[in-house]
Amino acid sequence: MDLPGYYEYHCSVKIIAGHDALERIPGILRDLHARRPMIVTDKGVAGAGLVNIVLGAIKDQLTIGAVADDVPPDSDLRVVNRLAALYREQNCDALIAVGGGSVMDTAKGINIVVSENADDLMKFSGAGALKRPLKPLVAVPTTAGTGSEVTLVAVVKDHERHLKMAFVSYFLLPDVSILDSRMTLSLPAAITAATGMDALTHAVEAYYGLSKNPLSDATALAAIRLISGNLVKVTRNPADREARLAMANAAALAGMAFSNSMVGMVHTLGHATGSVCGVPHGVCMAILLPYGLEYNRHKREAVMGELLFPMGGADVFAGTPREQRTDRVIAYVRQINQDLHDASGGRHARFFKEVLDREGKPAVPRERLTDIARTALGDGSIFYNPEELDYDDFLMVLDAAWEGVALDPGRIKT
Amino acid sequence: MNNYKEIQPGSKPLKRAYVALMLWFVGRAIAAAARVDGAVKTEFDGLPPGFTFSLGVMPQGPTMIVGKDDQGQVRYRGWNPEGKKIDLKMKVKNLEGAILMFTFQESTAVATARNRLIVDGEVPAACAIVRVLDIVEVYLLPKLIAKLAVKRYPDWSFGEKVGNRIRIYAGAILG
Amino acid sequence: MLQKQSSYSFYSPTKVLSGNKALENLPVELDGMNAVKPFIMTTPGLSVRGMEKVMAAAFADSDLTIGVFAGVPPRPDLKLVRELYGLYHDNGYDAIIALGGGPVLDAAKALNIAVSGRPEDLESLTAGNPLTKKLRPLAAVLNLDLSGCEMTRYATLGPLSLTSSALIPDLMIIDPRTVPAEERNIVAAAALMSMTQAVEACLHPSRNPLTDAYAYGAARFIMENTLNVIRNSSDRKGRLALVNAAFFAQTASDNLAPGMVYELGMAISRSCQIKPGLIMGLLLPHFLLLEMKMETTARNDLYLFVGGPEAFAGTMAEVSSRKAVDRIVEVLLELQSLVPDFPRSIRDLGIKKEDLEGLVAPGSAAGVKGEYDPRDIRNILEKAWETRF
Repeated sequence: MDLPGYYEYHCSVKIIAGHDALERIPGILRDLHARRPMIVTDKGVAGAGLVNIVLGAIKDQLTIGAVADDVPPDSDLRVVNRLAALYREQNCDALIAVGGGSVMDTAKGINIVVSENADDLMKFSGAGALKRPLKPLVAVPTTAGTGSEVTLVAVVKDHERHLKMAFVSYFLLPDVSILDSRMTLSLPAAITAATGMDALTHAVEAYYGLSKNPLSDATALAAIRLISGNLVKVTRNPADREARLAMANAAALAGMAFSNSMVGMVHTLGHATGSVCGVPHGVCMAILLPYGLEYNRHKREAVMGELLFPMGGADVFAGTPREQRTDRVIAYVRQINQDLHDASGGRHARFFKEVLDREGKPAVPRERLTDIARTALGDGSIFYNPEELDYDDFLMVLDAAWEGVALDPGRIKT
Repeated sequence: MNNYKEIQPGSKPLKRAYVALMLWFVGRAIAAAARVDGAVKTEFDGLPPGFTFSLGVMPQGPTMIVGKDDQGQVRYRGWNPEGKKIDLKMKVKNLEGAILMFTFQESTAVATARNRLIVDGEVPAACAIVRVLDIVEVYLLPKLIAKLAVKRYPDWSFGEKVGNRIRIYAGAILG
Repeated sequence: MLQKQSSYSFYSPTKVLSGNKALENLPVELDGMNAVKPFIMTTPGLSVRGMEKVMAAAFADSDLTIGVFAGVPPRPDLKLVRELYGLYHDNGYDAIIALGGGPVLDAAKALNIAVSGRPEDLESLTAGNPLTKKLRPLAAVLNLDLSGCEMTRYATLGPLSLTSSALIPDLMIIDPRTVPAEERNIVAAAALMSMTQAVEACLHPSRNPLTDAYAYGAARFIMENTLNVIRNSSDRKGRLALVNAAFFAQTASDNLAPGMVYELGMAISRSCQIKPGLIMGLLLPHFLLLEMKMETTARNDLYLFVGGPEAFAGTMAEVSSRKAVDRIVEVLLELQSLVPDFPRSIRDLGIKKEDLEGLVAPGSAAGVKGEYDPRDIRNILEKAWETRF
């Protein structure tokens, strides 16, 4: 196990997991001196009946102050401010976020506003602006997942001023994160696949990134082992409760890993693709992950080889000579994508050329790759990537990811 | 209680002076590089008019400030942040962290990965400035050290490098 | 059975800063917790070794004022805490930094309760009333001289036993300048105690993916570094790895419950002068052999923790657990040859066999807290008595 010359690690979120973990919420809120929570969620989650399951588990022991289910797919400053006002009107004293990344970000944003009595959220953006604990926040993820139930970041978009505000603070971490298998049981195959690959990417990038450390390593390895054993299985068999719980655990573990070891070029390019072409995050992650491995390989060969153990298992690991291990890891990742493609009836995309938007049209036209490459230059995650990438490098990777072909090692500048 | 005392740990004047000197030099070198190196100029051209950034040490400096003037020229704007509108503040958390950076024991990439810096401002601008710092370090440092300071040592022609290096050193010292 | 094992909870609030120049981050970290005037507590021994100076230097150029109390005794008591409470209050401190392990952390945790409310809260906590308020910031700067519960929710102050997750330090700093080389028996004891905590955590019936992750990190660091650190007093990196391992092991253990070997080691060490970690080392192999015979807490990848992925993957499943035990015994034997006065058997501890019987009964006077099958305890103690490594 490697000990870097210096590292930092922090994850103070209490994790409660199980097939009936939701029922623990009233006790948790009591310990946090709260009794009137506001539930923050979105229409999709509510429509899937998940909010009712949460309410069913807790309403007899708590007074629900308010239920806000109109969080948009992209966190929005106006919504944050409106829901903060609702929180105050209804005299709430805690927040329960039930949903995916956008719901979590919105809830964290609301928490800043109501805890600091902020009239201008912008004042709290960046790092170091928050100095004391916020109101109690319980996170109930409904995907497996973004890991935002254990991250210290919240992104809120100001659509009027065309700004994206990023908030970074340990005080944004939820007090408790509830991993309950019921919350992902009804997740459709394509979303299961995409969010699962998001988690896998978090773990893999955390493992080969520049900020890697013993705890991010240990949690990343555990996440990868769980995902390798459960993601395809649960995409084929959505009602498998144990597999759902395993994936929920994996997403939280991966979240802990990447929030402390950061992410790299897969996220740099993924964010840019999402920003330019509106492709969902998990879809980008799945497609780009093999390229993160191929591109950075010359700087991280040994470390990548270690991933064969959690991905392929002990026998495969022992049976593969050291020099071939990274090749097998990359092959495994491509194979998972293929299996997920098959298990989702072709909906899980293996490369950008086959990603379709809501109307069934190609979402990533080849002509836009240059825009994506240019946008990628402004993403901070690139600092943590083992190798440099300039505009040309970004374009080379995007081209290959568009076609779905392997990177030409000869073209990687070493 | 005889086992107890209150202490006001002093300062580290020599280390501060060294960091102050390095910051002064690098700040002026960046301004010079913006004149002679195409890539640095392009990075600054991509930033808004009047864009100004600072790189300094917490809690009270030393600091260097660089910004674009009304004509779009990149200028070293001194060591005192007071009264200036600074769009991007890069702060090293403590003096020892700054020493690690400016004795090149930790490259900008490693220092970032080790959380030695706090960045206050727009991330895309920070990315541009870090790229500028990398280029300037390649000019200022001998290859052996510069290779440790940056992730990928660029493939410049010898003449190009030496010529610009002289101009940047001269620009930094003479202004 | 499956249902029970699927449910778990895990909590580790500490921020870890480990490595080169970690100490200098204290001003910024304290500021992040709204603190500007830390109260540093340490022992006379550590002060004499220069640790106090290192701490003060770390605050240079920070514009902060710090307080330093260098008189923490081996067994701090309530009286001391009351005195320190006065000092802390009268001088406007707003955070505590514990420099050193064992008694320093015990006193610091107790002091933190007092200063975050009132000294009476200490007695209230021991009487079973849970701590409901958030405490003031507490940082721990650890070395290898450890008691095993520094980073856990436990503290002992004389006869008072304090238990609350609010006691877990907010910050842990592991810096080469404050992890000096120690005597071999100290290093061995710390390593064996951490190994015991890690192994018992990974065999615990309520283990979960997070305790496994922490136990894994601990076990790997211990197996990869202990012998070299003992042989080589210039192995700074190894020492840091061992302090990291202690933190990981304590965290895993804190989230489950202290295990049988840990408790027996602590109990037995109360009646002799030998460090509890060394005693745990003598008991651990016997515990593992007993575990292997039983099926209830079976796990077939112990060797992954003890030997690492390469060794584990290359070993046939049927012999894997046995190899894990053998590896631990190998290290134990090596330690015995390297560390002066390392007992070869618990028979050499100077206690009578009849006294051991007192440990076997549940709720015994010797203070073994968990619910263990007395036959298992007797079994392990007998084997450990008979065996000379």
